[in-house]
Parts: sequence; structure tokens; C-alpha cells
Amino acid sequence: MVNFNSIKMGWKKGTSLTLTLALGLTLAGCGSNANSTAKEASASANNSAMNTQANTQATDQKLVVYSAGPEGLANKIIEGFEAQTGVKVEMFQGTTGKILARMEAEKANPVVDVVILASLPSAQGLKNDGLTLPYPEAKNADKLNPDWSDKEGNYFSSSASALGIAYNTKLVTTPPTSWEDLTKPEYKGRINIPDPTLSGSALDFITGYISDKGESGWSLFEQFNNNDVAVAGANQEALDPVITGAKGMVAAAVDYMTYKAKAKGEPVDIVYPKEGTVISPRPAAIMKSTQHEENAKAFIDYLLSDEAQKLVSDAALLPGRTDIKAENRANLDEIPLLKVDWSWMNEHGAEVSDKFTQLFK
Amino acid sequence: MKNPSSLRHFRAWSIALALFVLTIMIVVPLVEIFVQSVYRDGELQWAAPFRTLADAELFKVLMGSIWLGICVIAGTTVLALPLAWIMVNTRLARWRWLDIVFLIPFMTPPYIGSMGWILFMQKNGYLEQLIPGLSSVTPAFFSFGGMVAIMSLHLFPFLYLMLRGALERIGGSLEEAGAVLGAPFTYRFRRIIAPLLLSAYGMGAMLIFVKTIAEFGTPVTFGKRIGYEVMTSEIHKYISSWPIDFGKATSLASVLLTACLLVWYAQSILSRRFTYSLVGGKGSRRSSLHSQGRGTWIYVIYVVLLLLLSIGVPYFSIIAASTMKLRGVGLAWNNFTLDFYRELLTWGSASMRSLMNSVLLSLAASTIAVVLGTWFAIVIGRSRTRMERTTDLFSLLPNTVPGIVMVVGLILLWNSPWMPIPLYNTYGMVILTYVILFIPYTVQYVKSAFGQIDSSLFQAGQVFGGKPHYVFRRVLLPLIVPGMLAGWMMTFTIASRELVASLLILPPSVQTSATYIFAQFEQGQVSLGMAMAVVSVGLTTVMLVIIESLGSKRKWNA
Repeated sequence: MVNFNSIKMGWKKGTSLTLTLALGLTLAGCGSNANSTAKEASASANNSAMNTQANTQATDQKLVVYSAGPEGLANKIIEGFEAQTGVKVEMFQGTTGKILARMEAEKANPVVDVVILASLPSAQGLKNDGLTLPYPEAKNADKLNPDWSDKEGNYFSSSASALGIAYNTKLVTTPPTSWEDLTKPEYKGRINIPDPTLSGSALDFITGYISDKGESGWSLFEQFNNNDVAVAGANQEALDPVITGAKGMVAAAVDYMTYKAKAKGEPVDIVYPKEGTVISPRPAAIMKSTQHEENAKAFIDYLLSDEAQKLVSDAALLPGRTDIKAENRANLDEIPLLKVDWSWMNEHGAEVSDKFTQLFK
Repeated sequence: MKNPSSLRHFRAWSIALALFVLTIMIVVPLVEIFVQSVYRDGELQWAAPFRTLADAELFKVLMGSIWLGICVIAGTTVLALPLAWIMVNTRLARWRWLDIVFLIPFMTPPYIGSMGWILFMQKNGYLEQLIPGLSSVTPAFFSFGGMVAIMSLHLFPFLYLMLRGALERIGGSLEEAGAVLGAPFTYRFRRIIAPLLLSAYGMGAMLIFVKTIAEFGTPVTFGKRIGYEVMTSEIHKYISSWPIDFGKATSLASVLLTACLLVWYAQSILSRRFTYSLVGGKGSRRSSLHSQGRGTWIYVIYVVLLLLLSIGVPYFSIIAASTMKLRGVGLAWNNFTLDFYRELLTWGSASMRSLMNSVLLSLAASTIAVVLGTWFAIVIGRSRTRMERTTDLFSLLPNTVPGIVMVVGLILLWNSPWMPIPLYNTYGMVILTYVILFIPYTVQYVKSAFGQIDSSLFQAGQVFGGKPHYVFRRVLLPLIVPGMLAGWMMTFTIASRELVASLLILPPSVQTSATYIFAQFEQGQVSLGMAMAVVSVGLTTVMLVIIESLGSKRKWNA
């Protein structure tokens, strides 16, 4: 009696070898392209290191950017930068959270050269962890709003959004004028607020509000909770039900998204409450681990240039430079502001976010 | 068999090699994750994961996950079992194209399906726009029951495919024998079908459970809305919001992993007790018991109702949302536009590139996964020895951890400075990730087919002088090809809509259709995203129809 297993073995030896080979080849095949480019890159890096500084810029033609926020704007900025410098930019586009997760996973062997985030505390966190490369000589950095950027040149907020109350114009005929209005019984169960654990700007608003009002500021959010305000995902997820009419309003809505939907013709609009709101700057930073330092610096220069700032303003964001005015949206001087303390907000962000999450559980 | 001992040697080598490949592919990344969870702030802290778990809140969340898993098993069983029976035993069995149609819910990305339901049922949603009188009923949908319904309607095709395969292998003769001896239907079901089905059902139910508690799309869209928290949403929180804490995320993931392993263990005991050799030398054929025309309309109604709920409702919403000029206006003919499709299908656009990426990547991944998975399944055999069971367990691991955790492990491994193979940030990395994430499907499908082949068939082949290679080609391969095909289709389907891994692992500047859709949602272009969902699901369906029609020509036992 011959063992059945022995039959299987015969072919299996051949098959398994073939399989392993095939897999190995396939993966190697896929990898080899990048492999060779990586080799070229490192070879050229070596060459240029031996040559003069001037040559570096000529041979190094690559830059990796991780960018949060509106994709259309990011694409335009990269097109403009590529046209101006001839550097090929590879971009990963995601939310601030996804970008940070990707960077954390790549920590041992970083890939990214420049990050653009949608949350100032995150950039402060990167700086405090010593992950950023200072570039104090950046062109036009002196024209940036000093509250939003680092004095030592670790991060530059080239744009910003303001937070307001977005509302469906078909459902809300008399828009609210203050945050307190949202606690009125007529709005019970009709309001969304973005989740501060997913939306950096919502966190900026909540911590900013608390930093201005102190502990008593929490009573507003307690009243929100009593009025069945729903915590609803990231910014766009919170806004979408308002566009379709399932909800009436978003508290702490990012204004540029609302302006964009409004420009399309959707029945939405935004108001900035009279007691003031928070601006959420969008900082860009060069990573210390960058392999393409010159290109990264050139990219920052481009972000702060007149051309890129014009693109920012076209995307209905607030330009980071104080000398450039936005045309199709409310400018900074037209938005009432709370007195916020960014360093306090950076230190207490996690705490406030936890407390908020507990409150709305 | 000139040299049986050297052949036995090869089998041992084959198992060892399989274990080695699995270890590199799957175990090492998971170990990397575990290391992350105990190695914090530059020092070893063994207690760190346990501290995370001691949280009472967390226990509630874990129970939430498990309860959801159990309810979804019940839900999918109620949907899939009658369907599998209908599709094997009644006239409807001739409509093979229905099998592809039934895959559509599974092809739909879960978060898109949930969005479809939400858009349909929400306040001022499509249902209220169509029938305003129902506005008092719709809030009831936003409950735990609604979540179970959405997930069951999404996952039932998976169980259905497994059950139908098993029912087909049972064949008609056993049940006919029961009928001849005077057993009524319920008795036949209880004493003949149910025990024979149990092994396949156990495997299917386990995978449904695991898929449910590792699922992310529905909890994050629908679950958030009703305030139902599960483990994956907690894990995702630690992995995607500042401050990022992989340690906490991996501790939670290891809890999920443990729960899944327990279920796997129970299932493997069950399956070892209830595996029978069904495919012997005698040809099998359909039973003629149920083929009479009487009652066919009941089955037709069942199938139509199921299709209406699983495809009709979500796709009505998806298509409606993709053809609206302004979403604030709602359902109205003057609000209808095909502009988004035009924008999408412009040659050379970003959307076309991401569509092509999806197709090519999933083609490559599913082909490699099927070849590797079949090898593993055959190595596992009937998991008699410890080595075989270990292979079984390893090959299942990717299905028991949430995709995002597996992916983080893969990045940690393949992007570490000492890694000699520069695979990270290439298409190869994406393919490898898809293969690893979806290899359990092929393994399970082929194993389930292989487990029911009686070894007398191989012995017969051998007695008649068939060389091992010949026996493999002419006996084993034809018998497991349906399983391989099912595995290929499943892998292709899921890979082409995979989101969570793709978001993290795609090289910069590269998009697939799923990440494209997600990006459109993030950017507020919901209509464009929905249009992409329709196009990519349509494309996958067409590919599957082509494969199925090629495959059915070679059916050995029609």
C-alpha cells in the first residue's frame, strides 16, 4: 500500500519550487524598477556630493511631499513648482491623521521631504520631537502671519482656514449669529460638529475656545451635548449631511469647504459668530531626514511666493502672508477672533480632545 | 513509486518551505507590531499592552465587536442558507449568471454600501423624497439592527459561495437515498444535509465573524452615526489621529487577534469532527427531488427580494448620488446629469489612471495569491499534523487582524533600514500587501474543496500507473479548480476595492479606484466618488463574467 501523501509530494516539490521562483521573480520584477531608480538616485547623490554645491541642484530632481487639505490646490501648487524648477514632485495626499500615521510607520527609514498639515499643534509636535529642519532664510517668511508660523523657521503656515457655522440655506432661514444660538431648542438634533480626533481644525476650535474662555468654556459644549449635537467624522463628513438636508448646521465647519460647495450652487452658506472664532493654520515643514534639502527649501520658497499665495486665495483659503488679500471669501480682518494661546493649545490638545470625547459619549 | 522515502522527504520540505514563506510574509510583520506594543519610549515595557487592556471602557467595546460578529453570522446565515439551497436544488440553478450578480454586494466597498443606505434612509433622504409618508419609520433604521442588516447584506455572498460549493459536492444521491427510505424533508435536512454542511458552514461562519469584527467601513460610516463603537474604530483612532500611538493600537489589535484565534480553534475542532469524503469515484449529479416546477415562484420571489435589498437599495442611492448636479436639490429630473461620468472616463485623466492601476494590481495580486494559496491549502491537507495546523493558522492570520494593523506591520518590516530588498514604495509592495491580506480566501476555498476529495481517487490514479505529476494534473487539479477559481474571483473582487491598506501603502502620486473614491469624499466631490464606485464595480463585474464564462467551459461535472 503506497501512501497517498507520497503521491502528492512528487509533484509538489516541483510546483513549490516553481511557485517560489515565480513569486520571487514577480516581486523582484516589480521592485527592480524602483530599485534601479533608487540606485541611480543614490549614485547621483554620491556624485554630486563629490562635485561642487552648484551641481547638486542640477542633478537632484526629486522631492516627496505629503499634503493634507484640498487636493485641487495641492495639485496646482505642485504643477507650478515643477514648471518653475523642473523638480519632479511625488505627492501623497491624505488627511493630517493619515499623513502622520504614514510618517510614523516610516519612522525608521523616512521617505518624505516636505509635509503640509492642516493642524498647527501637529507641526509644533513635529518640531518638539526634533523632526523638522529649520529654514529661517525662507523668502517672504517675514511677511507671514507671525502667530501661525515658527520664529526659528521650523514650519510655515502658507494658508489657513477659519471656523464658522455652516448651514443649509433651505432649512435655516435666519442663520445663527453666536455659538450660544446653537443651544436653542429649535435646533435640537439638527447640528453636526466634526470629530476633534479626526479633524485638526475642530480640535483647534475646541481648544481655542477653552483657551479663551477658561474652564467655563466647557458649558457651551455641555449644552451642545444636551441639544443632541452629533459628533460626525471629519470635516467633509460633517458637512455632507447639511448639503443633502439631513442636518441643518455644522458647528466649527471649515470655511473653505463651505465656500467651495456654495460656489458649486449647493444650498449652503457660512457665518462667523460674533463672539469670535478660531483660525486653523495649515503649516508646511521640511523634515530633518530629507534627502533633497535644496529642493525642499525651494518648495517652501515657492509656497510663500506671490504665485502660490494667489493659488491659495483662489481655493477660498486665507493666504498665510498678511500682504495678500483673499478675493472670493471673508478676509482675516472681517472675521471676529477669539484670543487664543497656541502654545497652551498645543500642550492641552490631547486632554481637551479626551474630555470632549467623554462628554459626547 | 520508486523511492517513497525520498518523496516523503519532499513533502516535509514542502511544508517547511510553506511555513518559511508564511513566516516571512505574515508572522514577521505581526511580530514587528508586537515589538512596537511592548517597546515604548526606548525601553521594554512588558506590562504596556496589559495596561491598555485593563480599561473597563475597552471591555465594553470588545463585547460590542463580538456581539456584532455573532449577530452578523446569524444575519448572513438567514440570507445565504436558503439561497444556497435554492441555487443548487431548484430550477434557478441553471441561471449561473446569478452567481456573479450575488457577488455585487461584496464587490461594493463597505463604506460605499453603508453610505448608500444612509443616503436612502436619513432625514430628507431618498426614501422620504420618494414616499414622504415613511418619514416616521426611517429613524428606526438607525439602530444596531440596521447596522447588522447592512453588514449581513454586504457579507452574505461570501457564506453563500461556500455553502453552495459544499451543497454541490454533497450531490443528490445521499438525499435521494434518504427520500427513498421514507424520510421527510426536515428529517433529511437534519440528518443528512446539516452534518455534511457543518464543516463548510463552520469555516464560512468563522470567516464572517472575523470579517465582521475586523471590518472598518461600516462602523466608521454607520456605526459612528448611531454611536456603536467597535474595536476597529478604536484601533483606527490610535493609528490615524494625533497623537499617533501604535503601541495602544497594536495592544488592541492583539486582543482582536486573540478573539479571532479562539474562534478559529473552535472551528478547526468542529471541522475535524465533521469532515467527510464526499467526492469519490462515483459521478455525482443533482437531485431530482426538488426540480419539479411547483413552488418555483416562491424561490424567484426570495431571490428578487434579496437582490432588491442587497443591490437595489444601495445602488439606487449610489447611482442617484452620482447623477445629481446639486446634491442639495435631491431627486428631480432636472437635477440629472452624466457629467461626472464624462469627467471620470476621460482618457488619460487621474480617474482613468487609478482605474487601470486597480485592475492591474488586483490581477497580479489575485493570480499570485491563488497560486500560493493553492500550494498552502494542499500542504495543509486535512490538518492532521502539528506542522499542517500551524500552516493553516499562519495562512489565516491576515484575516484575523484588521487590515490596517497588518499593513503597519508590513511597512515596519519592508521599510526598515536593514531590509535588503527595496520593495517599499513600489507597485511590488502593493501587490505583496494584497496577496498577504487576501491569501486566506484561496486557502479556505481550496482547502474546503480538497478536504472533501476521497483519497481513493488518488490511489486509483496510482494503481493505474499514473505518475505523481499526472495524478495531480488529471485528478487533483480538476477537482480543486472550482475552489481556485472562487478564490481568484474573491481575491480579485476584494483587491480591486481595497481601501485601508492602499491608503497607507501606495507609493506617492499613485492612486487606485478605491483611494480615488475616498479622496473625492474627502474633497467634497461625493457625486464624482459615487460615479467612480459605479464604474469600478461595473468593470469588476464584467471581468468576473468573462472569467466565469471561460471557467464554465472546463467544468468537469456540470
